[in-house]
Amino acid sequence: MKAPFSAYLNGIVPWVRQLIDALGAHYDYVSVLSTDSVGFTIAMSQRSKSVTNTNMTTERGNVVRVCRGGLYSEYAFNEIDATPAETAGRIRAALDQQLSLLQKTASKVYDTPALLDEPCELFVEKETERLPETEDVEALVAFLQGLSDRGMQAIPSALDCSARVMSTHICKLFLTKNRFLRQSYVYTEGSMAAFAPNEAGEMKTAYDGVSGLGGPEIIEQLNGVLEKLPKQMEDLLGSGKIVPGEYEIITDPGITGLIAHEAFGHGVEMDMFVKERALGAEYIGKRVGSDLVTMHEGALCADSVTSFAFDDEGTLAGDVTEIDRGILKTGICDALSALRLGTAPTGNGKRENFAHKVYTRMTNTMFDSGADSVDDMIASIKHGYLLSGTESGMEDPKHWGIQCIISRGYEIRDGKLTGKVVSPVIMTGYVPDLLGNVSMASPDRVVEGNGGCGKGYKEWVKVADGGPYLKTKARLG
Amino acid sequence: MMFERIKNQLRALGCDTYELTEKTVTAWEFYFIRHRLDQNRSSRVKTFEVKLYRPLEGGMLGSASGVISPTASDAEVETALKNIFYQASLVKNPTYTLTDHEVPLYKFRPVDVEAIAEQFLRAMQAVPETETERINSYEIFVREIQKSFENSCGVRYSVVYPSSMIEVVVNAKKDGHEIELYRNFTSGVCDPEKLTRDVTAALRYGKDRLLAQPTPKLSKADVVFSTADAVSIYEYFGARMSAGLLYRKLSDWTVGQPIASYSTGDRITVFAAANLDNSSHSFPIDEEGALIRERYLIRDGVAENTWGSRQMSQYLGVSDSSLVHNFVVSGGTADAETLHAGEYLELVEFSDFQVDPVGGDLLGEIRLGYWHHDGKVDIITGGSVSGTMQDAIPSMRFSKETEQYDTVVIPKETRLYGLTITGIV
Repeated sequence: MKAPFSAYLNGIVPWVRQLIDALGAHYDYVSVLSTDSVGFTIAMSQRSKSVTNTNMTTERGNVVRVCRGGLYSEYAFNEIDATPAETAGRIRAALDQQLSLLQKTASKVYDTPALLDEPCELFVEKETERLPETEDVEALVAFLQGLSDRGMQAIPSALDCSARVMSTHICKLFLTKNRFLRQSYVYTEGSMAAFAPNEAGEMKTAYDGVSGLGGPEIIEQLNGVLEKLPKQMEDLLGSGKIVPGEYEIITDPGITGLIAHEAFGHGVEMDMFVKERALGAEYIGKRVGSDLVTMHEGALCADSVTSFAFDDEGTLAGDVTEIDRGILKTGICDALSALRLGTAPTGNGKRENFAHKVYTRMTNTMFDSGADSVDDMIASIKHGYLLSGTESGMEDPKHWGIQCIISRGYEIRDGKLTGKVVSPVIMTGYVPDLLGNVSMASPDRVVEGNGGCGKGYKEWVKVADGGPYLKTKARLG
Repeated sequence: MMFERIKNQLRALGCDTYELTEKTVTAWEFYFIRHRLDQNRSSRVKTFEVKLYRPLEGGMLGSASGVISPTASDAEVETALKNIFYQASLVKNPTYTLTDHEVPLYKFRPVDVEAIAEQFLRAMQAVPETETERINSYEIFVREIQKSFENSCGVRYSVVYPSSMIEVVVNAKKDGHEIELYRNFTSGVCDPEKLTRDVTAALRYGKDRLLAQPTPKLSKADVVFSTADAVSIYEYFGARMSAGLLYRKLSDWTVGQPIASYSTGDRITVFAAANLDNSSHSFPIDEEGALIRERYLIRDGVAENTWGSRQMSQYLGVSDSSLVHNFVVSGGTADAETLHAGEYLELVEFSDFQVDPVGGDLLGEIRLGYWHHDGKVDIITGGSVSGTMQDAIPSMRFSKETEQYDTVVIPKETRLYGLTITGIV
């Protein structure tokens, strides 16, 4: 079925058009993004259970962007309690009050041209099997509770086992004088976590998740997660600490995705080019990885939690080849940064929600596949680790440092997995070294989209990343 | 008015146990590249949060929650409440009670968002920069948060408080090589003097980072933490005394028992506070309508009280607990001579220093540190530090002097012994 576009948003289109007309007399550019995204979060464990109709992407509200005299300003609101003309008056008054303060403090403006308002009309309703707003919550609660119960049975030492699902039906309307864009799609993600102490009393957490473009039907894949969880916990409970050093490593698709995200995801967000905060700006056309490294970014690259039809500035979704056989080709860009850099936007202008600013943000960030088998990769390693289980990462676009915190490292000696596991592992290094040492890549490729991505320590949005198994070298601690 | 619409619908549904919260956030935001305004933003966003309860068989209590938009039609409100009330029947937790003690009527002054914003703007314009150390960009967020709460037991309250944040990126350059440092300061209102001091310190660290050499392969080293990253270390203690972790058995600390087998370390004392000067979360009543209970969570290394939601607290048999947002850690006994004795690494910048409150692992990539050895100090960068809190607590030492970082007060300097260092050369 098609995910139906919001009746509420369709209903406010005339009001929004009149608001744009009212503001248009005073500004060089006016756009409105209106959102109406509904969903839920359900979490079940042995000790705690909850259901709520909210999650990180549920929202209903509006944001007006205006430009006058080279300055961009925004006003966000979620009450419609006046005529368009009255609301336009309120918005102008609120922004003028800020401008008065800026004049009083003699603040200078980053002069930016008005966005081109090229005509475009788009209406997209993506496929889904089910919708969060009509989901059988009773059945989902029972399913998740069953997963928790079965997890406890499968892991006798577990103190608790949780199963969680979030599903959102995203609806967004973008309007200017010349653009009329509407999109509707559903994404869903789920996860399981089990907690058990090792012999020293240290608590270990086994965790895995599923995600994708589609409705709550995706959650059935958690049965596969449940099958993997006991072995993962066994590995963690028997794990030791790694001897710090540089090793040959194999990254599973999740860790490959984490590297993609931290290395040349954040590293080529071009709002950072405007601020001169990214080393990538100086490396366009230069080698940043081995011939085996090709990387794509864009909402069109994969069907995932962030595969929209247009971004939060009304730019249509794209598919950018960031790295082609080791050569950095380009970055990703929001609309205002594109104006300032004299380039074209790539469909990567995203907001945490209607009340937040647009930044250049990732969508699907993916390494391309190769032709090497994982068995051949393992066989080629004298002493190293197969890394699995994403915990967190942090970028350093100015210096291309990278920090990845990884749940488990599986030791490889003389071409064979020894069965010894280390946990946790912190992988650090210099991105061009890490990618320059990529010597093998597997044919399979996975995209994952659990959790959220921040810009610094704020502005959380959905992203997805992935790739194949990769063999390279890194510093582990 | 929305509260009345919701309560009318709840009466029609037969729902007599609920919590309602109206939240209005008025925000002013300014984004600068260098000192040029990238964008100004203003917003006013209102939400209505609803949590509905219903008694279930077997001494269980059902509950479910949701948010209702101010633009919801009567039909949408009715459907949302019907769904939440039905979903409450599916969520079977052991029973617990809502707050039923009336709270005093507090008076709050409106927040002057414009005046706070002006202080931030002027403070950033006044930060002393040089040809080689300068501000790259900054983002100013000033918010007034108004909350009104009422529950079915007749408890009602309103609070109004300021909550601010400024993100600052600084650059330093030398011989064509430029580095950056990132800061994210949160507070109630703007404290211009503290902001200037903190940004100036960041500029100084930036200058040092240009001189840094790769971290040596030390294997093990004592580490002194003297910046905001130490907050993660102390948040571990607060988290371990939360009713949520204790009830789920993810913390094994026990009230009345020492939290560790102490050897030479300072015994920690952590106090839960309602109000903290210029905290971004300074108010006397928690989100469930309970007066915030000010008390010691840990005193001299012994677990003393828990904190947390009414649900989790009552499951632990604690009836008078509350949620808490501010924590004060007492200073220790270590003087500067003890903290700086022998060889040690002083780590002041990380990519993202983390302490896992459940597992106790601490990890972070080193962006800037000072290696004190053989009577000299080397500036270092790269590699990582790792260890566990379980291993660190028995011998951990910290200074008498304390420093506030928004919602927490912690010792100014903390020394952890024998952490693992993954060096480069």
